[in-house]
Amino acid sequence: MSTTQLLFSEKVRRFVKRNGSVVIFLILAIIASIFVKNFFALNNFLTIIKQAAIPIIACLGITLVLMTGGIDLSLGYTLGLCSITVGLLVKGVGLPIWLSIFITLLVGLLVGFINGILVQVVKVPAFIVTLGTGYIIFGIAQIVSSGSDINRLPANFRAIGVTNIFGLNTTVLISLIICVVMYYLLHHSTFGRSLSAFGFNAKAARMSGIKTERLNISVYMICSFLVAIAAILLTIRVNCAQPTMGGGVYTFEVITGAIIGGASLFGGIGTVIGSVFGVLTIKVLENCINLLNVSYYTYQAFQGIVILLAIIFENVKNRRL
Amino acid sequence: MKKTILEMNAITKFIFDEHGQPLRGTTVKILEDVHFDVKEAEVHVLVGENGAGKSTLMKIIGGIIPADEGEMLLDGEVITFAGPRESLAHGIGFIHQELNLCLNLDVAQNIFLGRERQKKLFIDKASMYTEAREMLLRLGFDIDPKTMVRDLSTAQQQIVEIVKVLSYDCRIIIMDEPTASLTKSEIDKLFAIIHDLRRNGISIIYISHRFEELKEIGDRITVLRDGRYIGTVDIEDFDYDKIISMMVGRKLGAMFQSSHQVQDEVVLEVKGLRISRNTEPINLYVRSGEVVGLSGLVGAGRTELGKSIFGSRTYYGGEILYMGEEIGGLHPSNLIEKGVIYLSEDRKLEGLVLDMSLKDNMTMASLKRMYPKTKIDFKREEVVAQESIDKLNIVANSVEQICNTLSGGNQQKVVVAKWLLTNPKLLILDEPTRGIDVNAKSEIYKIIDQLASQGVAILMISSELPEIIGMSDRIYVMKRGAIAAELTDKREFIQEKILSHTL
Repeated sequence: MSTTQLLFSEKVRRFVKRNGSVVIFLILAIIASIFVKNFFALNNFLTIIKQAAIPIIACLGITLVLMTGGIDLSLGYTLGLCSITVGLLVKGVGLPIWLSIFITLLVGLLVGFINGILVQVVKVPAFIVTLGTGYIIFGIAQIVSSGSDINRLPANFRAIGVTNIFGLNTTVLISLIICVVMYYLLHHSTFGRSLSAFGFNAKAARMSGIKTERLNISVYMICSFLVAIAAILLTIRVNCAQPTMGGGVYTFEVITGAIIGGASLFGGIGTVIGSVFGVLTIKVLENCINLLNVSYYTYQAFQGIVILLAIIFENVKNRRL
Repeated sequence: MKKTILEMNAITKFIFDEHGQPLRGTTVKILEDVHFDVKEAEVHVLVGENGAGKSTLMKIIGGIIPADEGEMLLDGEVITFAGPRESLAHGIGFIHQELNLCLNLDVAQNIFLGRERQKKLFIDKASMYTEAREMLLRLGFDIDPKTMVRDLSTAQQQIVEIVKVLSYDCRIIIMDEPTASLTKSEIDKLFAIIHDLRRNGISIIYISHRFEELKEIGDRITVLRDGRYIGTVDIEDFDYDKIISMMVGRKLGAMFQSSHQVQDEVVLEVKGLRISRNTEPINLYVRSGEVVGLSGLVGAGRTELGKSIFGSRTYYGGEILYMGEEIGGLHPSNLIEKGVIYLSEDRKLEGLVLDMSLKDNMTMASLKRMYPKTKIDFKREEVVAQESIDKLNIVANSVEQICNTLSGGNQQKVVVAKWLLTNPKLLILDEPTRGIDVNAKSEIYKIIDQLASQGVAILMISSELPEIIGMSDRIYVMKRGAIAAELTDKREFIQEKILSHTL
């Protein structure tokens, strides 16, 4: 039986199986449209997309790491380091914008390289490695910035993230392009296939000729690289470079997005569509809480409930479908 | 006439997940319509090839997994066990093939695990040690109950496991290959225990591959094949050939064919390779179009040699030449590109990614060759996978089927398909037919022969002597990490002769 001959119901079943977070997102959006005043409005939707655009970039990074069975707890701190790096270079040092961005991206790659090397070569569990490097990165960010923020960034630098092209904000556009690239990488290239194999069974993957060592390191590098992009865009958005940007809360929000998106902490499973809608789900929730004027603490409790529901849904779905 | 105490009728079990539940969408039956019964005070031997379903049947009796269909009667009453504890409460003890001991506890703690002797609020260690010591001594084993299980030999651990189960006052004791790791004198002691138990009215279900044992202790023999009940014979009617043919389903001879021709070109040459610091150096070669058997006992170093060649293990000095070129220490990916492959003995851990589909697994080792630009061509992939399915007669719903829902034989064929797609010139096959049914075996033999006729060099590691004898052009026998003998004359290919070199 070839895929083209599949029945419609079978197609639906497969879609739900692969993209549980899309279903969760739709359910949540429908409920919100009915019960939350001002939710169902084009402007509100654009706001949600704008708010989701940057975390989605980081979330796709962590999705790759989760697919190896690893984790990157230093993600939020890398965001802070990259934010202050780009701020310092652009305003403090006054380097050309392209060079500042280039160096910031290199910093991201370097962080990822160190994480990857420690995980792959020194064979320390990723959880511990990135917990440690996270603190170090946070410390470095504080030191280089002397703990202070850099605000009012040059307008031509900010233009990168706040210009509108074809009615779309450049930040959203960049995020969209990254989604497309990552979609190709994960679902249409041998890289994604190898990554999945490695995450499910590293031994079998290596003995099937997949260069698992290189793969494992590159995944952490891609993750931190994407985090560096997210950092630059977030810095532009808030018009302020902060060493404390991101942090542990951000890390967990991004990981939560990936988990709602169906990525497995045990490796092997992860999709671009899933992670994108995972983040969107979080942002819809956040948006509703804002519209309903409930306290931030209520929001956190709600977020917890949604995570649990998502994971239960994921489990039930995997067993039944 | 002895009374029947346990009876199983029409038992069917589908391939199952870690909770013992059938995998979704699977039609693979591990057991189908199986009958089995145990009489009072008898030793009932269960035999069958690897993958025949013996262990699965025992797991159902032991309450570890439920049967999907059929009924189990204990003393004439229908019974189901929700877990191993319930089964034990009904007097059924299970001595496992894989040891189920806590390595970080001592012998007495393991024996009394979950029912520790107590003195008021505290554990009464002293009485546990004395009791454990007595139990061990009563059975003739001198093991200190204070020893950590981790520090015991495998055989000693097996004995602790046996003592533990015996201490539960069971009516039926399941022994799943208990002698596999025991020495001759320990086996004698175990048999004495078994005779004792039977005299005391206890029944034993005994799984074994060693025929010489069966006549010594068995009362009846039941044969399973490919998950089906074949028959039960009394020990008085025991006939070696009859049991074998019941197990195998046909004569062995017809399975092997040889249409290949050995050529002169040496494809693989291993010179002075040591698999560990204190083993003798290994020298061997394999020519184009030649099937070379590598025999030896488990632990003789055959797998280690295979993995050393395939860049998956460190070795200690020596040269590995492939077509005259040194390939030692290369990454498997480079070796696969050159045409060297190693089929692992451990299909589930090293051969397949069980959670991925047939087609993903089949193309896994050829990704770079099939898609040099890294873009996957899904149409082409499906065609290639479908061709392999047809060529190797793989029973599967579609190329998208996830591998863990396939039977062992079909899984093994998927691994074979994966390697064939790489266009290998040198195949190292490690137990290529382990745990698969007879038909799949004969098909794999056919493929090996075909490959050899195309000039592929094959080094086949196997523990099954008929396979080594039937397939090989030349045989190396390994012992203690070194080559103990090389047999070149086919007239020397006799089981006893090969065995004599392994011991």
